[in-house]
Amino acid sequence: MTEELEHRFVAQLEENQNIVHKICRLYTHDKESHNDLFQEITIQLWRAYPKFRGDSKFSTWMYRVALNTAITLYRKSKRRVRTQDYEGVSFKIQSEPYDDTIEEQLKLMYQAVKTLNDIDKALVFLYLEDKNYREISQTLGITEVNARVKMNRIKEKLRKILNP
Amino acid sequence: MDELEVLKDQWQRREQDFPKFSAKDIYPMLLKKSSSMVKWIFYISVAELVLWTALSFLVPESTKEVNEEMGLKTTLLIFSIVMYVVTLVFIYLFYKNYRSIQVTDTIKELMKSILKTRKTVRYFVYYQIGAAILLLIFTNLVYYTKRELLYEVFAKYNGGYAAIPAESFTTVFFTAQLVVGALMIIFLIIFYRLVYGILLRRLKRNYKELKKIEV
Repeated sequence: MTEELEHRFVAQLEENQNIVHKICRLYTHDKESHNDLFQEITIQLWRAYPKFRGDSKFSTWMYRVALNTAITLYRKSKRRVRTQDYEGVSFKIQSEPYDDTIEEQLKLMYQAVKTLNDIDKALVFLYLEDKNYREISQTLGITEVNARVKMNRIKEKLRKILNP
Repeated sequence: MDELEVLKDQWQRREQDFPKFSAKDIYPMLLKKSSSMVKWIFYISVAELVLWTALSFLVPESTKEVNEEMGLKTTLLIFSIVMYVVTLVFIYLFYKNYRSIQVTDTIKELMKSILKTRKTVRYFVYYQIGAAILLLIFTNLVYYTKRELLYEVFAKYNGGYAAIPAESFTTVFFTAQLVVGALMIIFLIIFYRLVYGILLRRLKRNYKELKKIEV
């Protein structure tokens, strides 16, 4: 029984691990912390898993547990070596030709997002994941209207960072 | 917001470059110990509950005898019964709050329940310090009104005090009580500032940030 549960969990996590990686990349500054946070999120997911009834999608449920871990539960490890090659977003090179300026723009934008505070980051992350305001508000525990207002303010904030 | 839309579009369409963990990598992760904030809060809180309860046990025999001769026995007995009942209530509340911490809650609810759990322990410590101060004031008042008797009793149980002449005993004794009491309180305040300042700073900041959205 437990074994079966474990297999199912690991399979689901393996399939959806990119969600966790995206959060780790957004909330940490080096590879070690990234893996450390990934480890902690995995533990928290696994602990909460027996109560996951499947009435929501596994991924939806994951967002909440993973963000809760990154924002509230995770105690940053003391190893604070910032590796130089870790500069945030790196998309896989596409086969189709792509624009250098877009690549540059993306990088700057991502860096701007990383300067936001923990809560704003969570909002932007869910927005980038194409969650609607109802889902965003339900994950954070605020009202839909407030989530919308806040998102607009964050967009304004990001615009100011990018065009000072 | 053009740039954010571009990022969103790419975020959706293109895969990001991440390490890929296989099932084989994930299994051992399940066995690792968590190092979460809640665990730390739990350990520290239990340590506090134990420490403060233990401290009230740590009254030396001689003090008990002194208090008996000073006619404080019944009062102190009633006082300690009340202390135990209140402590039990606090332990129950702490346990209840701790159990309510769910990682599957909304971000706001989770933060709220952690802060609430912490608050219970903080109130417990306030209560303990408050009770200690009250007890200190009360016993010292009784001591003061019966200071001749106190000197006799002390000289009987503690040879060192007999060396002090009766006239200066009152001054020495009450100054010592006052200084020790004040030092203890200062030490506690600094200790709590440090421990919880470090542990809860980020959580408090984020919770404030979330509450700000709601205004």
